Amino acid sequence: MSTPATTDRAPTDQPPADRPVKPPPSIGTVVGLLVFAAISVYAAIGIEFTLRPLWEDVNRGREIVARYFDPNWAILTRPAVREGFLETLYIAIIATLVGCLIALVCAMLASKVSAPNTPVYRITKFVLSVLRSLPDLAWGLLFVAFVVNPQLSGVLALTMFNIGIVAKLTSESIDAVERGPIEAVEAAGGSRFQRGRYAVLPQVAPNYLSYCFYVFEINIRASAVLGMIGAGGIGTVINILVSRLQHEDLAAVVYALVVVVFILDQASRAVRRRLT
Amino acid sequence: MSARKTHPPTQESTTRPRPPSKVRSTVWLLVSALIVLFAIWQVNADWSRFANIFTEAPRYIALMGQGVIENPFTMPWSEYWTKSLALMIESLQMAWIGTLIGAVLSFPVSFLAASNTAPRVVVIVTRQVLNIIRAVPEIVLALVFMIPIFGLGPLAGAMALGVGSVGTLGKLSSEAIEGIDRGPLEALDAAGASKLQQLRWAVVPQVLPEIVAFWLYRFEINIRAGAILGIVGAGGIGSILDQLFNAREWGRIGLTLVVIIVVTVIVDQISAKVRQRIIAGPGAPAAAKQVRERVAV
Repeated sequence: MSTPATTDRAPTDQPPADRPVKPPPSIGTVVGLLVFAAISVYAAIGIEFTLRPLWEDVNRGREIVARYFDPNWAILTRPAVREGFLETLYIAIIATLVGCLIALVCAMLASKVSAPNTPVYRITKFVLSVLRSLPDLAWGLLFVAFVVNPQLSGVLALTMFNIGIVAKLTSESIDAVERGPIEAVEAAGGSRFQRGRYAVLPQVAPNYLSYCFYVFEINIRASAVLGMIGAGGIGTVINILVSRLQHEDLAAVVYALVVVVFILDQASRAVRRRLT
Repeated sequence: MSARKTHPPTQESTTRPRPPSKVRSTVWLLVSALIVLFAIWQVNADWSRFANIFTEAPRYIALMGQGVIENPFTMPWSEYWTKSLALMIESLQMAWIGTLIGAVLSFPVSFLAASNTAPRVVVIVTRQVLNIIRAVPEIVLALVFMIPIFGLGPLAGAMALGVGSVGTLGKLSSEAIEGIDRGPLEALDAAGASKLQQLRWAVVPQVLPEIVAFWLYRFEINIRAGAILGIVGAGGIGSILDQLFNAREWGRIGLTLVVIIVVTVIVDQISAKVRQRIIAGPGAPAAAKQVRERVAV
């Protein structure tokens, strides 16, 4: 990181003799940097990375981008657009609630502190990492195929995705709880459920609630795009406008989307700040 | 809760202490319940379709499973596997380059968004810009801005991921910068270092490990985002996923999902290990022991 510069900037007279020699960079750092550079070059070649379109082909994009500075605000008054936004919001709210409730149970099973035994803990952890590894839109595609109804598939897709995130974060909080209350409940003869309810849950509740609001923020964003694959919400409208090349209308919808997400984000984060 | 020996009780003094008021939490619970009920009532989802999960889904899942267990070395299937894998690697490449772009763009910005390295006005403006970037879903970014400029393909996807990453990376990095120890900063100030030298020799060395860890964290997020950007034509495995669902080729869908899950889980694990190593430093347990010994002496 900080190898050469000190010697370059040596003052007029020679450096004092007692100055320690700079240690050479460790082998780990060198190997790490080499691996990093190799992967970067490989990836850049793989996707044919170039910034040339930014100044060469900008004219092709300019026409379209220019239309984004002239949005057609009138489209926002159309009932379809208003309903799309509301639908996005409803889907996000329902999915957050259902997902977070299931996630609480999964989190209890996915922490060594509260899980009944090791196999349950391992299996739950594995299932959760599989749940998280599929992106939200992949869940959307699956549930659109399964249940057909757009709104329901949106709710189900986000629910699955939420379980993975909230359960993982909450289980990590559970790992870190203080053992005192658990031992107290155990000593008083509490059952496993009572142990979770009265010793673990009160300790993780603020964190858990804050994670719920965090996934609500993710859900708003995700449910806005889920419509692109036919899972309800404002994404449906966006998709139609893109395919009809109505960029002025699209611009207005996208700006409105950004404003809505921005406001809900700020509100949710204000709540989270108070929780923790 | 019963009476203590030290307090020889009269009947009145043994009353149990009143539990704290639950009015506030009850009100919040009721309000949230009302909001959710309103949403359930308003959204015109066809809840009866939920039964499909039990009637239709198992059949599709069985079909997907068949695709996965089909001999991967016979002709159509071997090609499907290699194709899916190649596209998933393209998604990974997009995620890597996207993260790199995000890191390069967000690094200077994070200094402008930290209250101890930039003037107040700049901080407020930069923070709001970051918040706005965070509010745009990557897929919208790709569809609306990057594909018109860069054309269809992974380059547009990588650019969308890159610009989308600036929001979170800038915010997290600036918070790390705000949490630094002021000592080195003051020492350099006293030694007459310029503002830039102070940043380079007092701030960067302190925050770099944490910021690099954030980059890796964002890389993990970008893998998931990169896997779906193809749905709008921005490269990666999403492109084939959309086609397969339209054609209802369940066998290939199952196989492709398996590729996504396995690759994502593996890369996640590696990235998490590297992050831990960066944050904890070399030989974490040994170092911790050393510190303890040093304190003891």
